[in-house]
Amino acid sequence: MPFNPRNLFPYFAGLLALAALGYAVTFGKLPPADFTFINGTEVQSIDAGKVSGVPEHRIIEALFEGLFRQDPQSLKPIPGVAARHEVSADGRTYDFYLRPNARWSNGSPVTAHDFWWSWRRVLHPETAGEYAYQLYYLENAEKYNSAQVEVRDRVEIELDDRLRQVEPFPRGTMVRGTLRDIIKPDEPEIPATATRDERNDFLARWKRAWVYVVDIDGEQRRFSPEAHDAPTVEKCLQVLLDFDEVGVQVVDDRHLRVQLTNSTPFFLHLMAFYSTFPLHRESIEHYGRDWTKPQNLVNNGAFRMAFRRIRDRIRLVKNPEYWDADRVHLNVVDAMAVNSPTTMLNMYMNGQVDWAETIPTAAVPDMLKHYQEHVRSAPMLTTYMYRLNTKRKPLDDVRVRKALAMAMNKREICELILRAGQQPARSLVPPGMEGYEQAEGVPYDVEQARQLLAEAGFPDGKGMRKLEILYNDHEAHKTIAEKIQSDWLKNLNVRTELKALEWGVYLDSINQFQYDVARYAWVGDYPDPNTFLDMFLTDGTNNRTGWSEPKYDELIAAAAAETAPEKRLQTLHDAERILMDGQPIIPIYYYVSLNLVRPYVHGFHTNVQDLHPLSAIRIDPEEKSRHLRALK
Amino acid sequence: MFQFIVKRLVWLVLTLWAVFTVSFILMKIVPGGPYQAERNLPPEVEQNIRAQFHLDDPLHIQYRDHLWDTVRGDFRSSFKLKDFTVNEVIAQGFPVSASLGVLAMLFALTLGLTAGIVSALRRGGVLDLAFMALATVGIAVPNFVLASIAVLIFVFKLGWFPAAGWGTLAQLVLPALCLGLPFAAYIARLTRTGMLEVLSKDYIRLAYAKGLSSRRVVLRHALRGAVLPVVSYLGPATAGILTGSLVLERIFALPGMGSHFIDAALQRDYTLVMGMVLVYTLLLYTMNFLVDLSYAVIDPRVKLH
Amino acid sequence: MHFSGHDELERYAHVLDEAQAIKGVSLGKDAWRRLRKNYAAMASLVFLIVLFVLAMFVPFLPLQSPIRQDLSQRKFQPPSRVAPGLGVADLAEDEYRLAVDALFGERNAVDRALIDSRVALFGDRTIPSYFGTDELGRDLLARTMWGARVSLMVGIVATLVSLVIGVTYGAFAGYVGGAVDNLMMRFVDVLYSIPFIFVVIFLLTILSEDTIKQALGAWGINKIVIFYFVIGAIYWLTMARVVRGQVISLKEEQFIEAARTIGATRTAIVFRHLIPNLLSIAIVYLTLTIPAVMLFEAFLSFLGLGVDPPDVSWGILANDGIKVITPVRIYWWLVVFPGLALAMTLFALNFLGDGLRDALDPRMKNR
Repeated sequence: MPFNPRNLFPYFAGLLALAALGYAVTFGKLPPADFTFINGTEVQSIDAGKVSGVPEHRIIEALFEGLFRQDPQSLKPIPGVAARHEVSADGRTYDFYLRPNARWSNGSPVTAHDFWWSWRRVLHPETAGEYAYQLYYLENAEKYNSAQVEVRDRVEIELDDRLRQVEPFPRGTMVRGTLRDIIKPDEPEIPATATRDERNDFLARWKRAWVYVVDIDGEQRRFSPEAHDAPTVEKCLQVLLDFDEVGVQVVDDRHLRVQLTNSTPFFLHLMAFYSTFPLHRESIEHYGRDWTKPQNLVNNGAFRMAFRRIRDRIRLVKNPEYWDADRVHLNVVDAMAVNSPTTMLNMYMNGQVDWAETIPTAAVPDMLKHYQEHVRSAPMLTTYMYRLNTKRKPLDDVRVRKALAMAMNKREICELILRAGQQPARSLVPPGMEGYEQAEGVPYDVEQARQLLAEAGFPDGKGMRKLEILYNDHEAHKTIAEKIQSDWLKNLNVRTELKALEWGVYLDSINQFQYDVARYAWVGDYPDPNTFLDMFLTDGTNNRTGWSEPKYDELIAAAAAETAPEKRLQTLHDAERILMDGQPIIPIYYYVSLNLVRPYVHGFHTNVQDLHPLSAIRIDPEEKSRHLRALK
Repeated sequence: MFQFIVKRLVWLVLTLWAVFTVSFILMKIVPGGPYQAERNLPPEVEQNIRAQFHLDDPLHIQYRDHLWDTVRGDFRSSFKLKDFTVNEVIAQGFPVSASLGVLAMLFALTLGLTAGIVSALRRGGVLDLAFMALATVGIAVPNFVLASIAVLIFVFKLGWFPAAGWGTLAQLVLPALCLGLPFAAYIARLTRTGMLEVLSKDYIRLAYAKGLSSRRVVLRHALRGAVLPVVSYLGPATAGILTGSLVLERIFALPGMGSHFIDAALQRDYTLVMGMVLVYTLLLYTMNFLVDLSYAVIDPRVKLH
Repeated sequence: MHFSGHDELERYAHVLDEAQAIKGVSLGKDAWRRLRKNYAAMASLVFLIVLFVLAMFVPFLPLQSPIRQDLSQRKFQPPSRVAPGLGVADLAEDEYRLAVDALFGERNAVDRALIDSRVALFGDRTIPSYFGTDELGRDLLARTMWGARVSLMVGIVATLVSLVIGVTYGAFAGYVGGAVDNLMMRFVDVLYSIPFIFVVIFLLTILSEDTIKQALGAWGINKIVIFYFVIGAIYWLTMARVVRGQVISLKEEQFIEAARTIGATRTAIVFRHLIPNLLSIAIVYLTLTIPAVMLFEAFLSFLGLGVDPPDVSWGILANDGIKVITPVRIYWWLVVFPGLALAMTLFALNFLGDGLRDALDPRMKNR
């Protein structure tokens, strides 16, 4: 047979297939971890200044440590980087003394400067940390964060000379001075038909044209964020309040002084919260946005990040530089990013993971019945609720909002859908806050609900437009929404449409008020009613219902300034009363945590915030292998 | 041949450009940018940030800059995965999807061709009926249903494979099987039809008459004729496997391109979506190109143009 | 064998007789005759017709409510003979309307009339829950049947949309020919290399953006309508290619030539000859594309981009079903019945499509 390259083709194809097969099977050989857990959705970032989710919380807490940390069992703040602290008599000045052996993973000490710098970064408007408001208790912090300046303020001006334009931290040249005047062009005429966004656009463009006259060491200079033709006006990036005016001060390397606006009884809890954790300045300035890469990361917590694969896992290894490393038991930990509760359960039942953070709703009764020793469940400081957009008709009518609340059978949701011991909610603040009495809202009462709806002009639901229930596409939210859809239809003849969105998109929609009714849950950040109630201040960051009641704002402010604990809680109770009367939200139930934990996992404590620091967890390898053998 | 390749390259560039432009337009239609919605910024600070990211430039300037970045192979940073650029996400996801796709394709080819040949040779027999019934199941049942049932059987009843995750070969087998099955089914049907047609041809009868063993006849002569439709099906099959991997990667929690793409689309991470659509286009185009090439190599009658 | 004039003549006569006999048989009748012999295809056809009719008249069937929930009594009930009544037959007019709305959701006038006549005929009686109930205690049989409507409608309408686009595009390219044809077909080639599914997912997420959705809603465009067009817009490529090929070869066919010589007008040629010939391809294409579209709908449902509740489709039901399959408890009926409904329909469509292709292809005569 004469040689013909065509005849080689089958062999070539076969070879190609073999090569492909070889390629396919040579990936990802990782040695097994001591402890593997499911961390839920993919971590958006490990940059503490930029995130707000629970999965992020778990990772950041393992990597970093704040002045305080939480006791794994009681959640009371216990010293972290701060060895001790002093509080002034009026409760407004805190002095933190840092422990000398607190070190970064590169060996350098953690100093008061690190905290000062990190807090400044979180509070800087450009970082726009979602949790920046946790630091609002510091004097002038809110003013700095919201970029407000007034004439006669000390200000800092960042000049337009950054090396890279997109930075994880603003670092153009700073000049400081006293603001003498703001020269404003004529306010633009905003058409009456403009939407909220267009309005903001007009105002923003107008404000960018402002010229700030600043006195710097006796010399008057003019700055503006927008380029001006006049040579006397220098272009700057922004004009902010001088950060020295904010209530945080470095006394020396190991002494940080914090000045609060009011005495804040839960302030130490905030110091154990990740938005107040220190970040490593040099590495952030050096690597730019790549500082979060495992090879660049410098951190001060119990673990280091060894490896990260998107939507697969974050591998943590013990940090030998951590000051309390002797009491960290795990050497290698895998945090798996798994979204679907069914997959989580599959992986858990299969012995692939040691801890799964939740149980698919449909499997709850069976798990509680047959796998009781695996389920670690406890009431949580978390309330599941529906937000009502009080800016849209007909939800602007409190009677309609009340009718909707009263026509919802919450008991059935808890006992027939969720079935894990959740309690129906009639108040925003969940039970379990020491010394606090909840202010309960309306009960389930269909008759009354119909009457209220009729009074509002919608007898038998006639004339009422279709409402949209928005929820994030996860867990039982759809089932609950369908249940409520059916309740409202059956009880009030109110029609609804359901809309599922991915978490981030759903948050966007709420932030932009593009919803009628939206599912929401709030996890208390610290065990005090304030963490729930300060959400609904007029224009509060997490209010998002358009509801506003001056009396409520007054009461919350009064409570913040109140030093007598009992009186303070009573004031908060009065505020919650007003909130429940206004009904911008319908509380539905209080969460319980539903962790699946293998019996050989020790140091895993159930608590009201469902927090389980990895540094406290212990595993006996022999017990583990014995258990897993029995499983096969 | 050379001319063919050059022509195809030109069309490839045009295709990618078209996809880029459409994606860009779609991206800009959506109200609100990444820095507007999520954070609660004072409007003037937001305006500052927009200026820094050149989001307030005129659209044609933005288009030009973005196109230039894309041409240089820089798909910019992901909106939602704040620690990564689009290139990094793709670089991490691609090997996973590629290995899954390759395994699935190999599985589909092996099983499909074998079943097709056996069915054709035993036409009307029990094996034929069984294979064809199975093939129809593969075509008619959505792969997510198939995969969920497969998990129950192979993971929990038989305990052969892990339930999810990626890293070992064992973790890839089940998803690859589920992904490949519908295509195996289709390939089996194509092979069977092709074989039946070829087997009735004169030259096969001649081959038999020459006294060649039936194994030799089937493998050397009949298969070559029957494999042509299968080869031309590989193009669409690649597209199908790309789609199918979206589902399988999700069910088995694999960190591949499919998972990243779906989450990116649902999270409206537009830069990531755009980058991935471009990569998928490139992949599909390349596969179609290779299919055309090999088609010409196998069948001398086919001319490339 | 020897030739004789007599034999020759006899043979011609025979052929003529044969021709006489065949003469009246059109392509359609011929195909129908062949199709009837294909039992699998015929069974499929019957099944599909029955399914289609049932789906059209779902509101008229004595089914239970597809949306009424009964959490306390009927959550996750396996298939049973329990048949809760509707409880609307004896209500006064006002209350009746409200109750029907609560049971069947917002429906158009035709469906309402169907529901009314169903109540008039069957009263409160319903078919028992032979398919079991779901996690909210809703009857799965009723949901499957109402889901059939959405799934079939999406399949059929989207395919028709793609058919219209494909035929128009292909026929135009083929008929005009030349450089235009060349360009149009290159365009189709380019589109073949675009991973449309990814673009569609992108598009669907953008179209469900609130402001855009509201703007579309003002035009009466909801998610199902979007499905029709978006899915329809991606399945036309093959059709365009095939139709173009047919048109080009038909243009050259002698019978067209013949028609032209005997003075048939252009419209007459198009309607008498081109369209009937294209029809056979179109029918085969329809039966083979509908299953692809239905699978695609299921795929979108799996990704959470399907129709919104209270509407249901088979894809949504199957996806809800796999969500409650766990290693600790399997509610098998929630997967099996919607899955079976989908699979059987796709089976039938595939069989019918294959049968039709064979029947309509003259070369397949002896197979």
